Amino acid sequence: MAPGWFRNPSILPGFGLTLGFTVFFLSGIVLLPLAALVFKTASLTWEQFFAILTDPRAVASYRLSFGAALLAAAINAVFGFIVAWALVRYEFPGRRLVDALIDLPFALPTAVSGIALATVFAPTGWLGLKLAATGVQVAYTWLGVVVALILIGLPFVVRSVQPALVEAQRDLEEAAETLGAGPFHIFRRIILPAVFPALLTGFTMALARGIGEYGSVVFISGNLPFKTEITPLLIVIKLEQFDYNGAAALGFIMLVMSFVMLFAINLVQAWGRRGQVTAGR
Amino acid sequence: MSIALDQVTKRYQAVPVVNDVSLKVEQGEFLVLLGPSGSGKSTLLRAIAGLTEIDHGRVFLHGRDVTHVSARDRHVGFVFQHYALFRHMSIGDNIEFALRVRKVKAAERRARRKELLKLVALEGMDDRLPTQLSGGQQQRIAVARALAHRPQVLLMDEPFGALDAKIREELRRTIRQIQRELGMTTILVTHDQEEAFALADRIGVMHQGRLLECGRPDDLYTRPQTRFVSTFLGAANLLLGYRMPNGVRFSSQVTTGEAVPREVVAVLRPEEVELSSGQAQVRSNFVGHGEVEEVLFSGAVERLRVRMSGDGPVPAAPGREGQPEAGSLLEVSRTLPEQRDFPVAAGQRVAVGARRVHVLPTPISSFTAVADTESAARVLHDSPLLSALGARMQTRVATRIGRGELAPPGMPAVATGPGSAQAAEWQLRHGAAQLLCVPSTAPLPSHVIIHALDAGARRAAVPVAASLLRHIAAEAVYLGIHPAVSPENDRAAYMRDLLDTRSAALAEHGLDMRTELRFGDVAEELQRELAAHGNSMLILGTPDSDHIDWAWLGGLLEGQPERPVLIVNAARADRAPEH
Repeated sequence: MAPGWFRNPSILPGFGLTLGFTVFFLSGIVLLPLAALVFKTASLTWEQFFAILTDPRAVASYRLSFGAALLAAAINAVFGFIVAWALVRYEFPGRRLVDALIDLPFALPTAVSGIALATVFAPTGWLGLKLAATGVQVAYTWLGVVVALILIGLPFVVRSVQPALVEAQRDLEEAAETLGAGPFHIFRRIILPAVFPALLTGFTMALARGIGEYGSVVFISGNLPFKTEITPLLIVIKLEQFDYNGAAALGFIMLVMSFVMLFAINLVQAWGRRGQVTAGR
Repeated sequence: MSIALDQVTKRYQAVPVVNDVSLKVEQGEFLVLLGPSGSGKSTLLRAIAGLTEIDHGRVFLHGRDVTHVSARDRHVGFVFQHYALFRHMSIGDNIEFALRVRKVKAAERRARRKELLKLVALEGMDDRLPTQLSGGQQQRIAVARALAHRPQVLLMDEPFGALDAKIREELRRTIRQIQRELGMTTILVTHDQEEAFALADRIGVMHQGRLLECGRPDDLYTRPQTRFVSTFLGAANLLLGYRMPNGVRFSSQVTTGEAVPREVVAVLRPEEVELSSGQAQVRSNFVGHGEVEEVLFSGAVERLRVRMSGDGPVPAAPGREGQPEAGSLLEVSRTLPEQRDFPVAAGQRVAVGARRVHVLPTPISSFTAVADTESAARVLHDSPLLSALGARMQTRVATRIGRGELAPPGMPAVATGPGSAQAAEWQLRHGAAQLLCVPSTAPLPSHVIIHALDAGARRAAVPVAASLLRHIAAEAVYLGIHPAVSPENDRAAYMRDLLDTRSAALAEHGLDMRTELRFGDVAEELQRELAAHGNSMLILGTPDSDHIDWAWLGGLLEGQPERPVLIVNAARADRAPEH
């Protein structure tokens, strides 16, 4: 592989052009603003920096942001898989409509979905009223944050699992069946290994989106400091108080934590792919 | 009996893709299901494995009724066209899969794995991934995997379809060897006749969901029973011949004398054609003169097309639109010694002989649209029913203007309506064994009523009905009609008679029909039944022409509703198929 690194492997010409554009695009749009963020943070002394990071209010917000995003992504991984399964494997009236509905959270302004959720789940709303009767309150609690993040993250899981399920050959399942495998065995040993990488990708994207989500959460969470305040909101609050350095410091720590998590998941994925060699042993 | 299928039918959206297939496979037998794509052969195989549910019929494996048993409990080995290996598992794990599912101990699994890898000659491949193997190797692994749990039956769905020619041949030999070694009952599905000949103890030919014929490869090749099998297995010239006291004659100008010659469909294989310089030099049966139109040399054999002159044999299959009526093309293939004895070039005039012909037992050889004027004959020829029948049955539809001296050979067709009774009477009296009365607009029937006026008529009508119904998707009802006033104990006899007819039709001709017993006037009952269904048709068995009540028949033909009627005349009709 090594000698062919800079050779033109594709039928489209212009390797130099495309790589140049990639580097420019990444630098200009992604790396430069992030560098500015780091630069801004660097104007703080270490004491100031740690003071901001370890502020109990900030720590509570990390827990909510990352915890809720993880929980929502996990729930989405399960239910997104089921939705994708239903869409791929069954033919039912309105299937195309449901398929189109999946993408709606992508297109909707996040504030709109946030307000809509808040309206429905508020103690006076349709669902909130019924849930209140059972003693569960969703709006203005951490549960509300999770609900909002589930809504936002679902399409990521469905859209990444769907093609993998389409591609997963039916004859593999049939082969397993003729070899005597039961439904659970087929799911566990044949279907799941085939779609797991895609499922993990979907999970990662839902998680990443959940950590950074702002618009849909602020309307339903109630934004109580220490309780239902997410880190992005805290950053906005600091900005409104003209505490640019504080905002930059929080942004920086989010950046680091997100990067570490995503990188870890990527490693797991790579390991999983290599692990196929010996999987099932 | 290892595998037995009893009247298996599978429909997709009401269209039968597997239609009433019954089949028995002996222990250790290698059966190849052969057919064009879409003939239902794969569906049938999947039905045996339990991967496809069937709508009707039963499946037995080793005497056990498994019709409602799931695939996982049928204990069959199944090999898929695209291998279907588990890509995330090593070769070893793929092979052990069935054993792992059955919770077989590790040591035993390893021993079995080793044994199977040795069987398919891929020892030491245990730790590779399927993607690291070539297509041929992957398919060997798939075979090994399918055998791991010691199934009693091995089913293979086009296992060589995705491989190139050389590997295909090699793998074919391996499979045959393994099958022999293990004495494994095997069914293999393919569309490749060469593969079928190379592997099969028996070949079953499928077409449009039906198992047309099943038999030893050489039997099917030399003595096919149907037009489809004769042309699908190898090349064949289908010709209309005339059965004479001294054998089958081909010339269209057969000297007939008093009687209409009995027309038959004859199979002339290309390698059974003899070419010579003149009629006197032809050592086999002289067929006619022709002109060599095309010579293709392909290694060991030479392939030629010979255009026969006008008085030569008439092709039994319908010509393509616009093809000249006279002068059929004959496919010929010759070996090297034959080429050396009599070299030919394109454009050369030759005498043609037939060394061996095989006569198909089909009772319907050709149709001839008979009318008084050319335009009327054309209209009849192009009527939806007649053209559809010709296309479906791959049967020639000729035209004849004016009656001539005798009825045409084969099945004459006349238009229904006023005058049809008289036309029908003339044809039947002048030697027609069968007659079709065709309304100008009627399509192919979906409901066919069969009725015979006496026992001889019934024997004649049932094979014709079976031959027709094999090619059209219609419901068949055999109507027994008896006088309204009849003694009670006669009714039991009628009933028995009817049931006997039904079982005989099924056993001898593979015709599955419903039976109904009516009491009343025959013509009235028939007309009532015809009117009850939109696209109905009547197949009527009659006694010989001297014993027909012509006034009665005329009333039936010219009465309402105007429906297609096929009359089978007992005296001249074919008996049971000759083999």
